Amino acid sequence: MDHRPQAWGRPRDDVYGAYDHSYLQNSGPKQATQAPIVTGTSVIAMKYKDGVVMAADNLASYGSLARFPDVKRLRVFLDSSVVGFSGDVSDMQFLDRHLTDLSIDEAYEDPSCTAAPNGKGHLNAANLHKYLQKLLYKRRNDFDPLWNQLLIAGFDGHSKPYLASVDLRGTSFTSPSLATGFGSALAQPIMRRYAETEEDAAKLTREQAVEVIKECMKVLYYRDARSLDRYSIAVVTKDGVELKEDEQLEKQSWAFAERIKGYGTQTV
Amino acid sequence: MFRNNYDNDSVTFSPQGRIFQVEYAAEAVKQGSVVVGIASKTHAVLVAIKRNAEELSSYQKKLFPIDEHVGIAIAGLTSDARVLSNFMKQQSLGHRLTYGRNMPVRTLVDMIGSKAQINTQHYGKRPYGVGLLVAGVDDHGPHLFEFQPSGMTEEMVAFAIGARSQMARTYLEKNLEAFADCGREELIRHGLKALKESLVQDRELTIDNTSVAIVGVEKQEDGTTKPQPFMVYDGQDVSAWIESVADNQEAAPAAAEGEGMDVDS
Amino acid sequence: MTSIGTGYDLANSIFSPDGRNFQVEYAMKAVENGSTSIGIRCKDGIVLAAEKVITSKLLKQGANKRIATVDRHLGIVYSGMIPDGRHFVDRARDEARGWRDNYKTPISTKDLAGRMGGYMQAYTLYQSVRPFGITAIIGGYDSELDTPVEGEVGSGPSVGAGGKVEGKKHGGPFLYMVEPSGLYWGYYGAATGKGRQAAKAELEKLDLSSDGESSLTLEQAVKEAARIIYVAHDDNKDKEFELEMTWISGADGPTKGRHQEVPEALRKEAEKYAERMTAKDIEEEEETKEGGDKMEE
Repeated sequence: MDHRPQAWGRPRDDVYGAYDHSYLQNSGPKQATQAPIVTGTSVIAMKYKDGVVMAADNLASYGSLARFPDVKRLRVFLDSSVVGFSGDVSDMQFLDRHLTDLSIDEAYEDPSCTAAPNGKGHLNAANLHKYLQKLLYKRRNDFDPLWNQLLIAGFDGHSKPYLASVDLRGTSFTSPSLATGFGSALAQPIMRRYAETEEDAAKLTREQAVEVIKECMKVLYYRDARSLDRYSIAVVTKDGVELKEDEQLEKQSWAFAERIKGYGTQTV
Repeated sequence: MFRNNYDNDSVTFSPQGRIFQVEYAAEAVKQGSVVVGIASKTHAVLVAIKRNAEELSSYQKKLFPIDEHVGIAIAGLTSDARVLSNFMKQQSLGHRLTYGRNMPVRTLVDMIGSKAQINTQHYGKRPYGVGLLVAGVDDHGPHLFEFQPSGMTEEMVAFAIGARSQMARTYLEKNLEAFADCGREELIRHGLKALKESLVQDRELTIDNTSVAIVGVEKQEDGTTKPQPFMVYDGQDVSAWIESVADNQEAAPAAAEGEGMDVDS
Repeated sequence: MTSIGTGYDLANSIFSPDGRNFQVEYAMKAVENGSTSIGIRCKDGIVLAAEKVITSKLLKQGANKRIATVDRHLGIVYSGMIPDGRHFVDRARDEARGWRDNYKTPISTKDLAGRMGGYMQAYTLYQSVRPFGITAIIGGYDSELDTPVEGEVGSGPSVGAGGKVEGKKHGGPFLYMVEPSGLYWGYYGAATGKGRQAAKAELEKLDLSSDGESSLTLEQAVKEAARIIYVAHDDNKDKEFELEMTWISGADGPTKGRHQEVPEALRKEAEKYAERMTAKDIEEEEETKEGGDKMEE
């Protein structure tokens, strides 16, 4: 034990880790994320009777350039939860790799249930959300945020459908329907018409929920300038995750454009 | 066992491939007073005999909660037990704060197993001189684990460690089949009966020297399960249980004597 | 053949006059006292098996696993001092995680064996530590598929990654065994622990290395592994044991490239086969003992 005055009251190094003096150094390049570079746009999700539906388009934009049109922003965790990422894509990759490591570690402690989704003993969506929220909040405190807003969907410890959001600041909340980015302004009002409260959401069938989500994806494509008409959609149930990664928006109608003055071939 | 050239530290193998320091550490466990643990489908129970240094001194606590869902029974060097239990408390709480769930008991036990193993492989360290019985509940139900100074951890259905624990283990082996379906009270009674086997001739269970702890899940009427947090009982709280096993001991021979030759024909 | 190491055997890392590190040799004795474990590499996968001697009736059946998973596609089984084995597995998991973080791809069996051999060897260099009291068998199935870079987004240019040689096969099942000295070799069949002599004799009889029709399939290997453990258990005859078996197949096999415990049904089948075969062996032995005598009732 170090009994010298400089160590009085100091928590033990072997328990809390050595003290980090790096803040004293002002030289060296600043590594903290300042702005997102390659980004994904909205992710939307809503609960229904037997689970949660989540969707996100397959576009990674480089500013105003629609750079990578086949980026999958919905990732499955332990065959039982889905995380949807919006915001910076490199941070999404970091988190995805980190979650892969986490899922491998989880499988170590309970191999018998690896094959079973919602396996007893494995981290469920609520646990995962808590973990991510702590991680993102820590990074925010370090002034080096992971520039994302994530939606986590799955089931909680009581086998009820679970949907929550956490963002680059560590702010988190849950709701029967959630959306990030433009979705929160364009898609949420539509989703809320059907799933305003938990009780309303619990009455929706799978087909209804998927219909609403598809409708919202269409609206986002009409109005979000950084979106794409190809998207991924995931449905999480007690039996696991069904993920379709190459869906195409159908039955688009651009008829409303004609009614807008100044667009198209319209002359005043 | 006698002294030899190979027993000075834990980084020396004997020619037969044994590490004597680790084996000596296990002796320290055998010096501690006996503790018994049993796990059923719904509960895990720990019972212990507490010792006092002198007539007027207090009795050494043997059962400690680690978190809501897990607790330990110790036998051996109490100060070593404290180090391990503090570690377990920190890990368990950290896990709860990070993930919002009970730390799986196996993971926790594996951590102290690894911690103890390091002490058997480095010069200047000595093995932990304490054995633990860890009782806890997680998503898979109740568990009982044994921890040894070598770092060996195994899941048990029932076990006993400490002085004269072999007698208790014999009782447990005889009644092994019965444990899985036992209810709360019955499980505690089995634990106390096993404990009694290890008592010295003229000693008995009293409210001063007996400690009981239980953790489990209770089935509710609507089919859901409610967790029962790890609770330690001492003093007056254990008197009813002590009497229940004392009565049985006296009632059985008395009944036999009373009924005389009225045996099933 | 063991000589007394008087004077040179008290500390690790000390060479005896004939160039031996006695502490390492004593560590191997600890392995020899442990229960048997084996690994089989056949053309379409790996089987690992462990004889778990039941030291107490109070142990919870099926709850104490000896064979550990590393990453998703590797398994490790060991004989000797179990806590040392767990330390070894923890390190292997760290190595696998470090590799994945660095190279964004799962570690190959060969590389993990190399890392673990180096780690074991490091514990033979200093007086301040002691060698591991285990011999570990590392089995893995390196993916034959074109796995994407970890965390890859999108699918890249349609011409694919550069520098690839068309038609070159990679991946497949691999098996290594690492000793307390850090020495390791690649094997088709490996055995360690008390019953290793008997197990090795049986393994040599199997057809594992050829690619032909007679070469063992994964299911056959599972049955043979069970049988060999039963044969090897003869050395521990007076104690009961539990058989633990795991397997790894390729991406189009039963485990889809993952290290998993052999399913209950197949394990029971394998144990029945093993019991039948070992009973037959005993019968044959007794018949030959009686020699040409007619059956006397």
